[in-house]
Amino acid sequence: MKRRDFIKAVPAAALAPAALTANSKEAISQQAQADTAPAQRGPHHLLTKRPAPNGAPEFVQHWRETDMDGIGPDGKPVPGYKSTRTGAAPTKTSYDPSEPAHEMELTQEEQDILDGKQGEAKAKVLQTIKRHGELFGATKLVDLGANPHTSMFIGSAFMGPFLKIFSQCADEGLKSYAPYTINPRPVDLYNVQTTQDMELMMFEGLPLQAEVDHLHVRLGGASRNKHSCMCYLPEVGNRPEKGSNVCWGESSAINAINSMFGVRTNRNAAGMEMLCALVGKAPYFGLMTDEGRKAKWLVEVKTSGEPDWGTLGGAIGEKCVEDVPYITGIAQYLDGEITEENLHKVKAMGAATASSGAIGLYHVEDLTPEAKELGRDLLVDDYQTYTIDDAELKRVFDSYPNVWPEDVEKPTAAHIGCPHNTYKELDIWGNAIHKAMKDAGKDKVAVQTVMYCSTVVRDHFFLDNPKLVRDLYAMDVRFSNTCTVCFAGMKGYSDGNFAVTNSNKTRKYSNSRYLPEMEDMLHVIVTGEMPA
Amino acid sequence: MAKQTFQGRPVVPGAIQGEATVSKQPLNPTASYVDNIWGGNTEAAPCTDADNKDLYQKDLAGIILCTPQTIGSSMGGGAFMLVAELDLAPKAILFSSHIDAVGAAGILMADIWQEKPIVCVDLLGDEFLEALKTGDPISVKEDGTVEIG
Repeated sequence: MKRRDFIKAVPAAALAPAALTANSKEAISQQAQADTAPAQRGPHHLLTKRPAPNGAPEFVQHWRETDMDGIGPDGKPVPGYKSTRTGAAPTKTSYDPSEPAHEMELTQEEQDILDGKQGEAKAKVLQTIKRHGELFGATKLVDLGANPHTSMFIGSAFMGPFLKIFSQCADEGLKSYAPYTINPRPVDLYNVQTTQDMELMMFEGLPLQAEVDHLHVRLGGASRNKHSCMCYLPEVGNRPEKGSNVCWGESSAINAINSMFGVRTNRNAAGMEMLCALVGKAPYFGLMTDEGRKAKWLVEVKTSGEPDWGTLGGAIGEKCVEDVPYITGIAQYLDGEITEENLHKVKAMGAATASSGAIGLYHVEDLTPEAKELGRDLLVDDYQTYTIDDAELKRVFDSYPNVWPEDVEKPTAAHIGCPHNTYKELDIWGNAIHKAMKDAGKDKVAVQTVMYCSTVVRDHFFLDNPKLVRDLYAMDVRFSNTCTVCFAGMKGYSDGNFAVTNSNKTRKYSNSRYLPEMEDMLHVIVTGEMPA
Repeated sequence: MAKQTFQGRPVVPGAIQGEATVSKQPLNPTASYVDNIWGGNTEAAPCTDADNKDLYQKDLAGIILCTPQTIGSSMGGGAFMLVAELDLAPKAILFSSHIDAVGAAGILMADIWQEKPIVCVDLLGDEFLEALKTGDPISVKEDGTVEIG
């Protein structure tokens, strides 16, 4: 049975609660469908539906979860793509069995853990991170500081084996060495004006979400109000000090703290960062080492003015893939210092380097901490050079495909913020939308308009700007703490919704069209039409 | 075909032999195992990645899979773990390139936590895949030596 047929087969009583969050026209339409349904099954069936055997739900083929994927804009593998996905090029390109096997050195305490003296689960945790690290040339384990951050946040069916493993750890009393932050939940049933169709998809597509949430509470995860990919914002509070060794998940956050704040972490596959958190240790290799933080590319930005940060990051990511770039020519647009006022610009660039490529660290001349200390000594001897001027940026931007069907011309939604918005961005966008709407004499936004941010950042903005927020709400602008990519990338959603976004990262992982100019986004929000 | 020998690094050592199944393009585990992960299929592991012309609709259970590396979601390791739990994982995965962090995570966790080892060798070199086609006889030794032909 197709999902839409299934929905029609559900009785009105089952539909009513969820329909409360849909807009009235859609709710009435769904109610009418339900009233004609012949089957009489209750809401429990609705919420416990599983995919039929040998027939996965139609939307999962395009369910986008995260980045570092080696998939091009057309959804197909990038030809010749090679990446360890750790943020560091491989240390070995061939294997010589006559050489002694590479093994990292362990302290006595670590050896005791490995020998099971602190329990079976902890021994397995250490064995896993030791073997994993050795594959990438790690020489030892290092003690972790500050607080972890995890990207293990999606309650899809993939999570089943992870849940078993980490539940075993929790059962044996293991917890993270320090409280940790978590990526935004992939679902928001309150603030994104979901229809019942979409809610069904969320429940069916994320059958393990409640178990994932529960697991994180057991292991020491932070409150759901702090779930965010922008965990390093002051409101969320997870910003390690320069030089701290951490082991994080989430490519945009890894990229940001390595680069903006001089923290040290590799890029980690989902699950590995949590294993490291449980023993407070991580393999020492790649971006955790001085050598691994050296730049193989000199990227000279020679645009005629301030570049579009998302496209700039996209260009660098596509060229450097996972090599560290040393970027010149942009510090003047950032007043020579990263502050809460301009952090969003650097964030947009960095996130795009991490999603269009697999970059875990970049240096910016006269801006980022290591570049300020070491300058061009950060470049390796045989570095390559990539020059980005106006024409190159245009070439890259023009290469982004419009993946809407040919007969679709009008957008239906505007997604603002990916990674999550900072306070400053909410301020900029909130005031800009408010002014554009007033100038146009409009009471309601023309398309679904959502600004994505953690709940604590939203609260900060609400408390400082009650009248503005009241007006924005009246205009139907909403704030959501969900993951923009997960929401915009849901197949069932993107089948019928055609969004615009100010994020090159969201463009990469959904059918959304990237509009880097604020005026163009505002035009869509106010008129419901694409800019000319 | 003439016998050829390639030396790789044993990631999960093991000795097996059979026929090679080749994917010249990198394997996307999350796209390839949709039928098992989402569809509830516990009997076979038909490749569901329509973008992979080499593997699409082939049963991936028990094969000796030869591919450059893995791509796709950073949760792709979970896909290997899930098919390992169902006893539908490949018998072996042989990478021509350096193993990537996502593939390594799933393959190691299947071995250590689930005790369902998938024999794995990496660093076999581009020539390995150039020399090989699906159906060729292949044998893998504990030390990472791979013989084809």
